[in-house]
Amino acid sequence: MADKITGLANPEQGTSRRDFMAKVAVAAVTAGTTIPRLASAQTAAKPPADPAGVISNDVVMAGKDAALKMHSERPLTASATAEFLADEITPTNRVFVRNNLFTTEFSEANHVVEIKGLVDKPLKLTVADIKSMFKNTSTVAMIECAGAGRTAFNPVPRGTPWPATGGMSCPKWNGVRLGDVLKAAGIRSDGAHVSFTGADFGALPTIPKVARSVPLWKALEEHSMIVYGMNDGPLPVVHGAPIRVMIPGWAGSASVKWVAGIEVLSAPLKGPYMDSSYRMPRHPVAPGSKMPEDAVSTEGWPIKSMITNPAPNARFKIGKPVLVAGHAWVAEADIERVELSFDEGRSWQNAQLNAKAAKYAWQTFSYAYTPRGPGYMTVLARATDSKGNTQPIVTPWNPLGYYWNGIHRVGFSVES
Amino acid sequence: MTLRQRYWLAAGAAICLLGASGTAIAPLAAQEQIAPSKTLTPGKGSELTTARCVICHDATHITRSRLSRAEWEDNIQVMIKRGMPIAPDEIPVVVEYLATYYSHAAPPAADSAPVAASAPAAAAEDPVQKLLTTNACMACHALDRKLVGPGFREIAQRYQGDNAAPEKLARKIREGGVGAWGAIPMPPHQQLGSADLALIVTWVMRQK
Repeated sequence: MADKITGLANPEQGTSRRDFMAKVAVAAVTAGTTIPRLASAQTAAKPPADPAGVISNDVVMAGKDAALKMHSERPLTASATAEFLADEITPTNRVFVRNNLFTTEFSEANHVVEIKGLVDKPLKLTVADIKSMFKNTSTVAMIECAGAGRTAFNPVPRGTPWPATGGMSCPKWNGVRLGDVLKAAGIRSDGAHVSFTGADFGALPTIPKVARSVPLWKALEEHSMIVYGMNDGPLPVVHGAPIRVMIPGWAGSASVKWVAGIEVLSAPLKGPYMDSSYRMPRHPVAPGSKMPEDAVSTEGWPIKSMITNPAPNARFKIGKPVLVAGHAWVAEADIERVELSFDEGRSWQNAQLNAKAAKYAWQTFSYAYTPRGPGYMTVLARATDSKGNTQPIVTPWNPLGYYWNGIHRVGFSVES
Repeated sequence: MTLRQRYWLAAGAAICLLGASGTAIAPLAAQEQIAPSKTLTPGKGSELTTARCVICHDATHITRSRLSRAEWEDNIQVMIKRGMPIAPDEIPVVVEYLATYYSHAAPPAADSAPVAASAPAAAAEDPVQKLLTTNACMACHALDRKLVGPGFREIAQRYQGDNAAPEKLARKIREGGVGAWGAIPMPPHQQLGSADLALIVTWVMRQK
């Protein structure tokens, strides 16, 4: 790709940006005509070609494991399901993919992130600056799309059709503490929230940038990071290279990829990714309803668990122990216990909890179960956190299908 | 019946009881899943909807969805905030199209018996399946073989690439006919409106 766009930290001023816009297939968009003319049925049915600077889905998926299934092409979304996520630390090639806009490649040398807003000393940092000026660190932490598990809701709400156990990963993140960078800029006393804006772009110049904010306390929490690596290797383009934000345990949209702007604010950011997407009703609503006006922005994931072993429909022998294992996680609490049921919830046994890799990592549980008779069986897992919250059987429906954390259930066969 | 077959049957029966509890249990016997269409069902507003939506999304975001009118209205408003270019007078056209072709008639009453009841409920919501059942299509047609009439797959294969096929097939279903596949006549189905016909024909043509 000779005409790849690079270093678009401030794309509005770059000539390459204008080149790109000229190439966008929806060429009818010009000043004063924001609405493209209705193309004929035949041309309209074809999606516009991907613009320059964009990595194709084929390239992204070639770097991924076959267990990762694509759920949509534009924007690209892909995930593996529980039986492929047994690792305590998710391998890079099984980390889920969720883009809002294009998968955009930026040059590490030219990429700049601006720290601005309610700070004493605004900063413009290159990736090299970030690596050299701040303590390099790493942590294992959960990232999970707000809509992970969406297809388990009934009826299925709109959005990426994540499988019941797809859309979450727990890799190791390499980078620097977000708090260290913010403190270097000097947070003013009226700073209360921090927003992140990505440099990636959509198919039209009118499409707003991806931008989310989190409360200042979360941005300053020591596990919140500016990330340049994954699992001690480079950060893949699709996961936000050269740098991204990582807000552990929170709905993934807060972890803005290709981050180019970090702004300290006195109030939550206003914008489409805060005010109309990534929102939850305050109270459960009837299935099929609109989002209530007073809905709130997504934050940390509630208590959740999933069974990674046995794989669905595995076959076992009577009298031979079966390893039942999986992970449990919650954003802002600890896991108190994970219980398993082999009789559809009539009785429950505590699973053994292993130590977790880091504060925001998922916690692996295990249990040796010896089947005593033949037939088709199920195992259910139910986690409880240190605040006393237990997973529900079914998560209340909500218009955007967020926070699915219903009890996971896996079937297997026992043979004599 | 071998022991193994018996287990498979038992497994299948158990799976039928599993619903939206977050289960990742896949059916043992390969259950045919219809992949969502990459183009919208033709109908009033389909061209406009395609033109406005596929700038940023592949069409499966729509074709795999069954949403209430309220949800579609909400969704269009969200997309406008996310940069969707659409004129005010186009909004009702797009909402009407989506609510007509990609809706569930009414939201389920309640999640009162969620685990067991939701799987069959979800299946019953598929508008094509409902049409095929209520109009007794499956009495004479199977998916993959000839019964009284040709299999749907056979029909899809014969008309592949024929741009006039949707219209031809719609007329054939509505008015009936004889001769295209043999001497047994296809009865007319005048009760079917053009929207239902479009749904059926689109589904049939996807069975290749």
